[in-house]
Amino acid sequence: MFGYWDALYFVFIFIIGLILAWLLNEWAKKSGMGTRETGDGTKIFISGEDPDKVVPGFEHLEGHFTGKNVMWGLTYALKRFFRVLRDDHTGLLTDYVSYLLITTGFVLGVILIWG
Amino acid sequence: MNGEAILPYLIIIPLFGAFAMPIVSLAGKKAREAWAVIISALTLVVASAVFYHVWKTKEIIVYTLGAKTPFGQGVGFPIRIVWEVDLFGAIMVLTVAFVSLMAVLYSLGYMKHDTGLEKYYTLILILELGMLGIAITGDLFNFYVFLEIMSIASYALVAFRNDTWEGIEAGVKYMFVGSIAGSFILLGIALLYGQYGTLTMGYIAVKIAENPTVTAKVALALFIAGLLFKSGASPVHMWLADAHPAAPSSISAMLSGLVIKVGGIYAMARILFSIYSPMAHSIVLKAYLQPYINMSAIGWLIIIFASLTLIIGNAMAVIQTDMKRLLAYSSVGQIGYILLGLGIGLAAYGTQTGEVALAGAIYHTVNHAIMKALLFLVAGVVIHEVGTRNLNELSGLAKTMPKTTFAFLIGAAAIVGLPPLNGFASKWLIYESSAVFNPVLGAIAIIGTAFCTAAYVRVLYTFFGRPSERVANARDPETSMMLPMLLLVLAIVIMGLLPWQISDKVMIPTARMLEQFKFEYINALMSLAGGA
Repeated sequence: MFGYWDALYFVFIFIIGLILAWLLNEWAKKSGMGTRETGDGTKIFISGEDPDKVVPGFEHLEGHFTGKNVMWGLTYALKRFFRVLRDDHTGLLTDYVSYLLITTGFVLGVILIWG
Repeated sequence: MNGEAILPYLIIIPLFGAFAMPIVSLAGKKAREAWAVIISALTLVVASAVFYHVWKTKEIIVYTLGAKTPFGQGVGFPIRIVWEVDLFGAIMVLTVAFVSLMAVLYSLGYMKHDTGLEKYYTLILILELGMLGIAITGDLFNFYVFLEIMSIASYALVAFRNDTWEGIEAGVKYMFVGSIAGSFILLGIALLYGQYGTLTMGYIAVKIAENPTVTAKVALALFIAGLLFKSGASPVHMWLADAHPAAPSSISAMLSGLVIKVGGIYAMARILFSIYSPMAHSIVLKAYLQPYINMSAIGWLIIIFASLTLIIGNAMAVIQTDMKRLLAYSSVGQIGYILLGLGIGLAAYGTQTGEVALAGAIYHTVNHAIMKALLFLVAGVVIHEVGTRNLNELSGLAKTMPKTTFAFLIGAAAIVGLPPLNGFASKWLIYESSAVFNPVLGAIAIIGTAFCTAAYVRVLYTFFGRPSERVANARDPETSMMLPMLLLVLAIVIMGLLPWQISDKVMIPTARMLEQFKFEYINALMSLAGGA
């Protein structure tokens, strides 16, 4: 049925998510190279980030195995995608106009062919 | 209560308020501020009455300017300007009036160190007036006039703080490209007028259904392209990331919360559903093997732009260090969800999936207006107190500005779609219908939300982090700035607690009225024929 949900589903999914996260954590501890929970050997975990390395944009955050690791993992894994996006956003007015014209041409083409 | 009798006041009050503002300002600062609040509050009262009337009676209000009927004497077609308000229009009217009042209240504290405020309040009321006009009009050229009123007020407000180049540059860029997009829309209107000889939306719908020409298709392409730009859809969203952060935060709240919705999404939905009636083209004409416009293909076209928008907008939000720019890109991402609902509503027209998607899109339009207004107001408070928008310098804000951080927490949780807040219900309807319609679209929507979550978690992580020296002296703002944020938080929480009641009693009926299974929009107009 559309548009209805049971709050219990969320509780179940949340518990399953917690179990999965715990299993992943245990697995990472066993198989990760140079992984320790404390001390100099702490390397990992989720993202493989080097805790000694300063992550640009996150200089103010401290600790390892924190939200910044996950964030670093996300941005690192998708760095090519983000670079393409960033390069595309030039801030140039001429580019804005070009995109508008290309979009108009595309919409016109689609509507004239299939519309 | 007579809907037709109260409708004109929706325009008269802000119009009078805006043009009287320079005179009232002569009486002093307090008078000017009181005037802005009174005018916005009165507009909200009228907007509430209009909404209640349409919602209660489920009847479309048709108001003719200067006469009892739009049909001229001796001619069988409408020649006068009409305003036509269905439930979608009424919802937009209510949302615009509510968020505008919040922005005006917030401005009392936020803008108190600025000069030229009589111009500021005049422009803010004109901006509100333009949006209200778009939401109620049933005449295409009148729609264009209101669109330009809204746009010109927006350009000026983006560049209102002209002590920095950022605002001026963003305003000029926005004006330049916005004018090109506006001229596309005007060209579309001119083509339809040239082809069918009328500007009344309901009547053009009849004429297009009778004879769907190539000109009508070219006009539709120009409308879609122009309105995709106005709504901030990718790849024509880049102006938004410049303009919205550069404006004062009270204006950013209106731009991101309202302008892109009314001037983009609402206008597109109105044109697609009321002028290029999918009921006529996808069902009736198709069944009788008559020439028709393939509205399903148009739906897919919008879905393509929606998918692009929700991925690019949310992904770009992740890598921003400027808080307001992050919020602006997040707006682009959320527009993606709304467009997705709209596109599926069109592509799956006549099915329950289509109806739920459309209801989700309308619901998310309202929800996002409230959530994004709140988030921009919070950003304004942060800039006001700390003097920076750089996230790297805002660590530990939760300790010094707990109430502001709480407001941000609520706004962020709602926009991510966390139950039991209002964003959850609307996103859920969109996820559900997109997954049923095409699982790939459901997956794209979820990926977009993953990026959205990452972007907001990062801000929250910064706010709850170790306090930096920069935020040491920051404090929660004065009451005039806190009150609108509190009201928006309340709206988010209350709407979040009644998700399915709102969906069943307001959003689904709105979607049905917009879908026009019985040509309600056209019939409301044509019922006035012969009364001249």
